Amino acid sequence: MEGLSEKLASKLHKYSVLPFEDMYGTVSPLDAFVFTNYIFFLIIAFVATLVFFVVAANKTALVPKGIGNLAETGVEFIRNLCVDSMGKEGVKFVPFIGTLFFFLLFANILGLIPGTLPATGTIGVTAAWAVMVFLLYNYIGIKKHGFIGYFKSFVPSGVREMGPLGKWGMGSFIFILEVLGHFLRPLTLAMRLFANTFAGGMILGIFGIFVVLGVKEISAIGLLSSGLSLVMLVIMYAFKLFVGVIQAYIFTLLTTAYIGGALHADEH
Amino acid sequence: MLFEEFAYAAEAASDQGASISIIPSLAEIWPSLFAFAVLFLLLKKFAFGPILNMLQKRSDTIRESLEKAEETKLEAERLLEDYKAQLAEARAEAAGLAEQSRKIAESMKDEIVAQANEEAALIIARAREAVEAEKKLAMAELQGSVAALSVSVAGKLIGEKLSEADHAKLIEKYLAEVGSFNDN
Repeated sequence: MEGLSEKLASKLHKYSVLPFEDMYGTVSPLDAFVFTNYIFFLIIAFVATLVFFVVAANKTALVPKGIGNLAETGVEFIRNLCVDSMGKEGVKFVPFIGTLFFFLLFANILGLIPGTLPATGTIGVTAAWAVMVFLLYNYIGIKKHGFIGYFKSFVPSGVREMGPLGKWGMGSFIFILEVLGHFLRPLTLAMRLFANTFAGGMILGIFGIFVVLGVKEISAIGLLSSGLSLVMLVIMYAFKLFVGVIQAYIFTLLTTAYIGGALHADEH
Repeated sequence: MLFEEFAYAAEAASDQGASISIIPSLAEIWPSLFAFAVLFLLLKKFAFGPILNMLQKRSDTIRESLEKAEETKLEAERLLEDYKAQLAEARAEAAGLAEQSRKIAESMKDEIVAQANEEAALIIARAREAVEAEKKLAMAELQGSVAALSVSVAGKLIGEKLSEADHAKLIEKYLAEVGSFNDN
């Protein structure tokens, strides 16, 4: 089936990182100044998020309605998320967490429009934000508890109170595990979001290919597979919408949990 | 079967040079960080700040309104108690006034009746006195005229045969009889 492999290759190609103005060019990891296809859609998501919130913020009133009400509900949701995982001081992180969540949300959802790409479907964007979160929460932890205090909290207080063997032997083992765990956090954050978004896009693309190929066959089996693929395509679109929201939420929720953990590092 | 075909196709596609890069590209790292930073600053200033302020303002307003409503309610209850107390006082006062007026009226009535009785008694007494005086006068007059009449009748009956002394005796006797009448 020659058509399938070609179409699949072209789909894969379309989803890879390409220079925006040249679909047939390549982008190597060290090219710093190439305007890529994903960055184009990142800017679209940027503008959409900005316009939505600036318009909504000007529509807020003591008795809210319409878009102002919608934005307020979103901000309230973020505020509750922050306060739940960071306590009262979480309120000052609302702008950061809110930007993260809504930027991710707009990027994910806008990427569902046929012909567009989700900005979070490339490892470059998700890794950058994951590393940013990693640096931020460690900075917060060190700033609050001091360098020594923060790293000391990696070893649970129960182990710290053991005898010398437990304290230094088991303590250092746990410390190494804990450090590894912290370094895995940005990796998993970046991979989870990227893989979900990218795979979702690929699945939609593949079902799309099946719909077209089935129709071309002009046989009962072909039409049946085409019809079933169309049904799956619709279901997958709905699922992708769900995944887009859930992934934005998970990324944000984990970020608040990491910041909360760094703020309250002395409590465990 | 479809799956096998698909696996073959994927392999063929990969042979054609299609691949997914999982190495982040610098071309995406700095623009996404930059975009995030700019969006963060803009949203903080123009969206989240104002919206958070509005949320705070609203919760303050609602809390204040509730507190005010509670205060107003307490004030209203206090006023109601006041008015009830005042009303009860006014009622008691009115009842007192009515009672007082009734007593005054009662005493005035008694006084008036007593005065009237006194006056009536006085009038009756005066009337009696007047009647008594009239009666005495009439009696005296009657005595005089009876005597004269008797003398003239007796004179006519017995003629001139009575002496002056007899005449006087007879009158006295007669008068005594008439006086005994009068006593009755």
